[in-house]
Amino acid sequence: MQKFLRHPVVDTAIKALSRNRLQTVLTMLGIAVGVATVLAMMAVGAGAQRSIEQQVRAAGLNQITIRAGNWRPKITDSDEAVAHQGDARESLRHPLDRRNPDVLPIAFHPEDDPMEKHDHPTARQRLGDLEAGLGSAATMTFDDAEALRQLPGVQYVAGGIHENVRVHLDPSTGSGSPRATSRGDQKRWFTRMHGTDVMMPSIKRAWTFTSGRFFTEREQDRASQVVVLGQVVADKLFGPGAAPVGREVMLWNQTFEVIGVVTSATWVVQPAPGDDQFDAVYMPYTTTQRLLNLSKLNDITVTAESSGDISRLSREITKLLRIRHGIGDHEADDFTLITQATKALTTGGLPPSVARAVASNVAELEKVTLEQLAMTMERASRTMTWLLAAVAAVSLLVGGIGIMNITLLSVTERTSEIGLRMAVGARGKDVMRQFLFEAVVISAAGGLAGIVVGVIASIGIARTLQWATVVSPLSVVLAFGIATAVGVFFGWYPARRASKLDPIVALRRD
Amino acid sequence: MIAVHDLAKQYHVGDHVVNALKGVTMSVGAAEFVTIVGPSGSGKSTFMHILGCLDRPTNGRYVLNGRDVSTLPPDELARVRNETIGFVFQGFNLLARTSALENVELPLLYTRQGVVRAAERRDRAMRALEAVGLTDRADHHPNQLSGGQQQRVAIARALVTQPSLLLADEPTGNLDSATSHEVMEIFARLSSDRGITIVVITHERDIAAYGTRIVDFRDGLVVSDRANEAREPARVG
Repeated sequence: MQKFLRHPVVDTAIKALSRNRLQTVLTMLGIAVGVATVLAMMAVGAGAQRSIEQQVRAAGLNQITIRAGNWRPKITDSDEAVAHQGDARESLRHPLDRRNPDVLPIAFHPEDDPMEKHDHPTARQRLGDLEAGLGSAATMTFDDAEALRQLPGVQYVAGGIHENVRVHLDPSTGSGSPRATSRGDQKRWFTRMHGTDVMMPSIKRAWTFTSGRFFTEREQDRASQVVVLGQVVADKLFGPGAAPVGREVMLWNQTFEVIGVVTSATWVVQPAPGDDQFDAVYMPYTTTQRLLNLSKLNDITVTAESSGDISRLSREITKLLRIRHGIGDHEADDFTLITQATKALTTGGLPPSVARAVASNVAELEKVTLEQLAMTMERASRTMTWLLAAVAAVSLLVGGIGIMNITLLSVTERTSEIGLRMAVGARGKDVMRQFLFEAVVISAAGGLAGIVVGVIASIGIARTLQWATVVSPLSVVLAFGIATAVGVFFGWYPARRASKLDPIVALRRD
Repeated sequence: MIAVHDLAKQYHVGDHVVNALKGVTMSVGAAEFVTIVGPSGSGKSTFMHILGCLDRPTNGRYVLNGRDVSTLPPDELARVRNETIGFVFQGFNLLARTSALENVELPLLYTRQGVVRAAERRDRAMRALEAVGLTDRADHHPNQLSGGQQQRVAIARALVTQPSLLLADEPTGNLDSATSHEVMEIFARLSSDRGITIVVITHERDIAAYGTRIVDFRDGLVVSDRANEAREPARVG
């Protein structure tokens, strides 16, 4: 450092800058404001980006769920749908049932609970997969899932089988004291079972594991009896704060090893009883297929690489599945596509039949609703970012002009010095380097001050406005780089002018 | 040392063409001490600038140390100035708020090898100050020095790269006569002891008398060029 300060170029620069101390400091101030704004801008932008991403992920905007079975009225049936609007039973009817109005639609059947021991044929056995109603009309296969995986724009694909189950603590593992069974509702929990794919944690990006892990490819291949508990289930069975990993639970009178507990990674979604995500248990779909003797899937969850690609992807999926299932042009789909948008619509307080009619007929539906919400947020943060960018640009411009001004002043004041230096052997480039360096010293010093102010400002914004800010090392480096670049850019002209001075003319000026 | 042939220089001042030099031919040998006299506008300063490689002639040739420098590009001329030529100006042209020593070091920042190392710089600058008898003022800033001392610092600065040619443009113009003679004594000594070629411009006859050769300029031409037999000048005071 000492050596650096002693370097003649540095030494001369310091002497020259201290000559116009007030102007130098004021110019630095301009640059500092610009750099601080740049830094705050990037911090706010990155913070907003991060919180939007979190919410979008939590909302699952890039997800499409394809359920087996079809409950929606077809576009060609829209007259009928409007005529029967409000008639839930009518709209719930399976299209195949409509030909015979006397047959009651099958929407849900208590027989579908696999916990029940039936002494008579179940709905599935009586009606066959397709007839058994939404979700349990097992028309979709693992091969369908594999085919969807090949579509361009698809990120992840996971097949699923879903059932309602009762989860017990395994009395044999010793966890149950003699009183455990008597206080049944504490040690037994009626919840949702998802037989799913190892890909699921990648799809549910707003997941985090409080303990343990998700099941592995190997466990899926072997159809192992392992289970991941949702936070709610873990709390209900083992009590809050317990460590269930490694313990055993009973489903369908079978022993399962608990390998993990999953909860929400974002404050936007909180685990709650009945929420289908964290009041749930997860196991490999192969295990479900083996134990329940099933060969089909209830649904397939697909995520798009881009959430803006949902509409196109939905069409592609529909086309592909219709071909795979051999559905003719005038026949109804035997599956249902559900996106966040359609879900939001159906839970939006509209009569279900109207909601469904809208969902099935409005193209580009996800351009509205949730995605729009995300876009509004993004637009707000973008407005903020642009505003800060404008402030930063203006202050850097003003600071840059200040640098140009003070450097020009310095060149004028030191004309005879420039002449002398040239007379004793300085070349144009030596002179140029000297003045450029002086300009950069001002801007870099201003930049450093600006970084300090910018970091403090970012923390201040985060604290007072509750606005997430992220100051990355890269943005600090970038801000400093911008400051230096401003110095070089605005110092260039005066330095060039100094280097082009005629030594004779310069010497004559005193 | 110096050989100029039919040297001419034209300036354009607005629409006017000023012929500052109209064909000067002369040569200066090594270790010669030449004084150039002439009224203002006689072209002597222009001649000096061309000799000092600060300017290029419009016409004619200038051979310095056997090398034609009349058409060299600016960066090459800067090298020649740094290595071969030392300048002394009427106004001293010392950097303010900079010690005498650092002022003397200045040419060593621009050598062909780049910036000379600090220790060597200091060493060479001290030796140059010694030659003008100012070692005890090395740390003084110009505003703490008398005019004569300032001009001696300037001479030390001209000497620090050990040039073979020293050019002085009215070096005594800002000095009283006593200090003028001190300064001229230094030039005379440098010429005789070190064999440096010295060219001094002046309009004072008694200062010109220090030269071993006196050249008269008028209207851009040499009107007289004679050896100075009576080398010892008339002392004043």
